[in-house]
Amino acid sequence: MTNKDNEPQDSARVRSRRRVNQRLRDAVSKETSGDLKDVEIPPKKLDWMKRTYQWGVKADVTDSGLTIGALNVGIYGEIPDRWDDQSRMPRGAYPMPGVPPIGYSISEKRDLWADNAADLYEEAIQRRWTPATDIPWEAIGPLPDDVEAAVCQLCTMLCQHANTEIETLGTWLHQMSYGYHEVKLFLATEMFDAARHFEVFRKRALSNGGGLGLELKGDVKRMIIESRGGWSETALLLYLLRGLFTFTIYRYGSILANNDAEKAIFEKSVQDKARHLSYGLEHLRYAITRQDDKDLVFNNLLGIGERLVARECKEPIVLEPLAVIFGGGVEGAQSGMRTAQRLMSDYVNLYLSSLRSIGIDRSDSLSNDLKSYLL
Amino acid sequence: MSVIFPSLNWFEELRNRFNSNQRDNQVGVGTCDALVGVACGEKLFTVQFEAFECTNVMELEDESALENTDFYLELHPNDWKDMIINIKENNGAGLSFTLNTLDLELSDGLAKSWTEDQYRQDLFFRFNQTFQYFFDASADVETVFEEMDIA
Repeated sequence: MTNKDNEPQDSARVRSRRRVNQRLRDAVSKETSGDLKDVEIPPKKLDWMKRTYQWGVKADVTDSGLTIGALNVGIYGEIPDRWDDQSRMPRGAYPMPGVPPIGYSISEKRDLWADNAADLYEEAIQRRWTPATDIPWEAIGPLPDDVEAAVCQLCTMLCQHANTEIETLGTWLHQMSYGYHEVKLFLATEMFDAARHFEVFRKRALSNGGGLGLELKGDVKRMIIESRGGWSETALLLYLLRGLFTFTIYRYGSILANNDAEKAIFEKSVQDKARHLSYGLEHLRYAITRQDDKDLVFNNLLGIGERLVARECKEPIVLEPLAVIFGGGVEGAQSGMRTAQRLMSDYVNLYLSSLRSIGIDRSDSLSNDLKSYLL
Repeated sequence: MSVIFPSLNWFEELRNRFNSNQRDNQVGVGTCDALVGVACGEKLFTVQFEAFECTNVMELEDESALENTDFYLELHPNDWKDMIINIKENNGAGLSFTLNTLDLELSDGLAKSWTEDQYRQDLFFRFNQTFQYFFDASADVETVFEEMDIA
């Protein structure tokens, strides 16, 4: 059966495309015939053809396709401990003399590297998702006002977690030299993931009759964004103090979702966040094992950071909305707070075990405020 | 045809369903590379995921072989049974029986590392939807438990 409504529109679109193509063909034809005699064509030099350090490279295609990691063959797989080039020259390319320096401040491998970065980049690209169409938004139905308010407040906070991540990565990414493109590429995907998280939580807040809630004052956010000591130090705060907290909220969110849309949002976000944490932990372990006093530096920073995180968690807008969601409303918030306390306990335990996995034991030096959350 | 859980046949059947196009499992989920152990009472299995497929399932003789896995999933046989029944009833795990929920609600977790390697254990979270889809494929399997109950 013919769709009479669409038919005229389709025909117009086809006619329009034909007209554009014809104009393009006419322009090219005119350029190559009439004016050609006036164009000065420089003699071919082709000396750039010999400017390569290694030719004849054929990277292997794996079962997962042609991956970034699989390109690390021959000289292209030589990743130096220090990369002094100050241009955007890709690793393994032939340098052009006289390129003005960009001013990359991170040129030591130990300051950004993680062995898993190339794989994580592929994983991020493979497992991407689209909030607009991959979330069953139609599954969201009316919720009691207090629960909707709590969900929206939580979404507001999670938007802030995500935009902190975007801004932090943006601050550091342009300072990382191109000798370590695997890390730069992965962090670019992490920025995109964070943008997606900002998007999806904003969409959830504005899709069910609610709205955005109160802004979190944001001492932790400022601590992370304004951290200037080095990428490793910023990564410590971003992934271990904040990232693990966000991750734990996502996990609880996926089991206490009010509908399939929220379930999907949190389940997909958990996978993304786990990937970010894998880079963070691997890099921090790498940094610690290559610098004598790095663990002391990290311990000092964590002592300060833990107090700020604990203080922020005392803000009513952090745990109260969770308690209302977990309790099914304000009336059940008291029992919901027990679940929120369990969430905090899980977060602190995960924080301690993650630290142990990178060689730092803070079980005796954990700040009292965070310790108080342990059940 | 019904298949007994836990058995190598059951995991073979699950692998076939997961790899088939009948369930819309892999769309948008991406590749997954992991060796996952499954512990159900005395019975032990491994499930190998490579790229877009589950490439192999094996039954293990000795629990020390779990050392080779990235992580293993351990539940009491009754809890495995409850999970599989729930998946069957809902055509996929309900909120109370997702792998994530079970991992959070069990005191010592569901996903464990034999070597206490947190990085490898993190694959449980990074590829969580793939593993969930794998077990959700059991909705299409006519499962008989060792006591001969049919899910």
